[in-house]
Amino acid sequence: MTLVATRPGTGEARPYTFPELRRVTVGGGTVIAAHLPGQRLASAILMLDAGAAHEADGREGTATVLAKSLEEGTKARDSAAYALALEGLGAELSPSVDWDSFRVGLSAPVPLLLDAVRLAAEAIRTPRLDAADVLRVRDDEVTALRMDWAQPGPRADATLRSDLFGSGRYGRPLHGDPTSVAAVTVDDVLAFHQAWLLRPGVLLVAGDLDSIDLAALGEAAFGGTTGEAHPADGPLLWSVRDHRRVILVDRPGSVQSTLRLGHRSPERATPDYVPITLAATVLGGAFTSRLNHLIREVKGYTYGIRGSYAMSRRFGRFEVAAGVQTAVTVPAIVDTLGEIDRTQLDGVTEDELAVARSWRAGQLSVEMQTPGAIVGALSTLVLHGLPDDYYPSLRKQYLEATVEQVSAAAAAHLHPKGLTLVVEGDAAVIRDELVAANIGDVLDAKI
Amino acid sequence: MVSEDRSSPVVCVNLWYDVGSRHEPAGQTGFAHLFEHLMFEGSVHVTKTEHMRLVQGNGGSLNATTNPDRTNYFETMPSEHLELALWLEADRMGGLVPALTQETLDNQREVVKNERRQRYENVPYGDAWLRLLELLYPPGHPYHHATIGSMEDLNAASLDTFKAFHQQYYAPNNCVLTVAGDAGKDEVFALAAKYFGALAPVAGIPPAPSSHLAGPAKTPARETVTAAVPAPRIYLSHRTHPFGTAGYDAITVLATILGNGRGSRLYQRLADGKRIAQPDYIGSYGVDLAHAPAPLIITATAKDGVDVAELEEGLAEVVASLVTEPVTEEELSRAKALLTTAWWRSLSTVGGRADTLGRYATQFGDPATVAYRLPQWLAVTADDVTTAAAYALKPESRVTLTYLPEGEE
Repeated sequence: MTLVATRPGTGEARPYTFPELRRVTVGGGTVIAAHLPGQRLASAILMLDAGAAHEADGREGTATVLAKSLEEGTKARDSAAYALALEGLGAELSPSVDWDSFRVGLSAPVPLLLDAVRLAAEAIRTPRLDAADVLRVRDDEVTALRMDWAQPGPRADATLRSDLFGSGRYGRPLHGDPTSVAAVTVDDVLAFHQAWLLRPGVLLVAGDLDSIDLAALGEAAFGGTTGEAHPADGPLLWSVRDHRRVILVDRPGSVQSTLRLGHRSPERATPDYVPITLAATVLGGAFTSRLNHLIREVKGYTYGIRGSYAMSRRFGRFEVAAGVQTAVTVPAIVDTLGEIDRTQLDGVTEDELAVARSWRAGQLSVEMQTPGAIVGALSTLVLHGLPDDYYPSLRKQYLEATVEQVSAAAAAHLHPKGLTLVVEGDAAVIRDELVAANIGDVLDAKI
Repeated sequence: MVSEDRSSPVVCVNLWYDVGSRHEPAGQTGFAHLFEHLMFEGSVHVTKTEHMRLVQGNGGSLNATTNPDRTNYFETMPSEHLELALWLEADRMGGLVPALTQETLDNQREVVKNERRQRYENVPYGDAWLRLLELLYPPGHPYHHATIGSMEDLNAASLDTFKAFHQQYYAPNNCVLTVAGDAGKDEVFALAAKYFGALAPVAGIPPAPSSHLAGPAKTPARETVTAAVPAPRIYLSHRTHPFGTAGYDAITVLATILGNGRGSRLYQRLADGKRIAQPDYIGSYGVDLAHAPAPLIITATAKDGVDVAELEEGLAEVVASLVTEPVTEEELSRAKALLTTAWWRSLSTVGGRADTLGRYATQFGDPATVAYRLPQWLAVTADDVTTAAAYALKPESRVTLTYLPEGEE
């Protein structure tokens, strides 16, 4: 035999470290920077308290329209000149909106970072926002959402969100829907900018700090800003439902059914963050997870199935997501429910947890090599008020979590009997079987 | 190959096998990719599911991809698990066949069929790439069929075919092993010798079917598809030059000038300017294939109420402008700045670096040639772009694929 039969052991691990952090307060704002010696590119994010949660009812998508309008010209130059100036540095802006924040990210070669941040600040703080441009961007966004909603998934996501979070902002899609975006006015966009984008915020930087002047970056990012940070709102109230419901979203002719099974769960600050993350990893996070193993590797029903908790400042939700072949929609759901049930009732095993622990811990090195990844990690620290030594401490908590702790978290935070099961697929083919399966009342989505 | 970098305590192990869908004979489309799936299902000393469990269960990330040219496998691990990764790769290079079972094949065939449904059949415009390849490359050409393959061929796949496939192509003399990151070359070379050193080379690996094509097509091709799509969309495509040639470097810069970013000609003239194209869905890019003239793809989606003919005319005008309106210094430097950032970003992870080195070693025989790519992009002149456009983007060599929403034909 030419192969080595014995599996090799483990070499000596280097101690885990997170990059050194530096802080500079300037111009009413704070720069938080991670030192990555030798990197040619640097990344920055200007993070503002201007998340989608601030949007008015019926105008969901206002922040997204604003984000997409920022590059339609500034007080200093028109949109074509702005694009040439920024892209001439090799940089592009990535504005994004989430529930808790509004971010504008960019990356550039280290010597060009200051110029790129100056241009980003120009667009964020002093955009032109001409009425005609804002209306055109809004109409384009309505069209873009229609394009997106023609894919499998977004309508199922919106249906699940609405069912779990009810009326109000959190029950509506993060970026709004075609109707709410169409209702956004120029005044909505201007008011959102005035209220939320002129406060200093926080500038996050990752790169070779030996060649980066943090004070100059801060002056560029915070110049001309006013106002204070908005005090954080507490978590939303919620309870677990005591029955299941199935909501059918019709997609005629669909060759797969898109599954979104979910329920509410604790927000990011929960003391159970580590054990519920590990429980979800065993159930549906890793490739060898219970769900992926059974539904993909044994049954061949899907290309992939995932289960996870998403946690923001004010809410959390558990979700299982998959696309399954239409003909096996009901068997796939039944098997999925079986695995959720089993995990909730019996917890996890030491063998499974060993994989989850090491994977989560190792990913804190493997997935944090680049300035872009590190600057993203900084944003998590700031958003959730976590200490500078959070990542080393998180790694330790993952590695030390016990079967009892993780099983207890699964028992407490999985609610298979309170799930909402959204099924987006060819209703004419799957409806009768779904009803007959008696999983829960079958309703038709109003979407 | 070893690229030592101690900045993070992680290491990537990457293998490029010089076999892709271009090697597939008629009736066996999709086999190279389905085979890639089988490589994760166990080998002589690794039980089914154990490969994934050992990599993820030691903190690693892993994947594999198949394209027309080649198949690559890679895992990035905390560096104390380098030896484990090499052992796993050697075991499936040298010991896959005895572990292959009908049950595994049947299961992964269903997984791949679901991959095809999810990526190509169940999404609007999802089959564009499959259609473009058939229009760009003549029947029988190794790039004519898509890597995902046809349902019919996948259904017909037999276990013996896959065993033979492995024995033919999964040999040390058909593979480049690259390790990048937190490991030194002496250590890696010793470990490579230990785990791969005794694997026998395979004599007489057959070359892929001839892929020679004399540049762009001589006659245009056109297909119009009426389907469940939300808006009319056009793909224009041309065969250009093979990846790795000076001509393709000019095409890469051209694609960036034409359709990458808000400052590109397509964005400025059709999304802004005439406002006939949706700003989120306009662009152009080359597909970096090395064994025949590679495609340039140009795409735009009509705004509400815009006639598809008007959009096509607009696209054709902007493409023609690359010849009639010389590229300005500002356009050229914008494109080079964006390409520079993209280049360094692609090398900023150990995974990206290992894969790039593996590509250059496999396709050009020398990993050191990787150092020439960025300087060659930066050396492209405005004249080079005009010449490339005049050569490759003629209307008579154009493939035009148009999608129309149902009920609007």
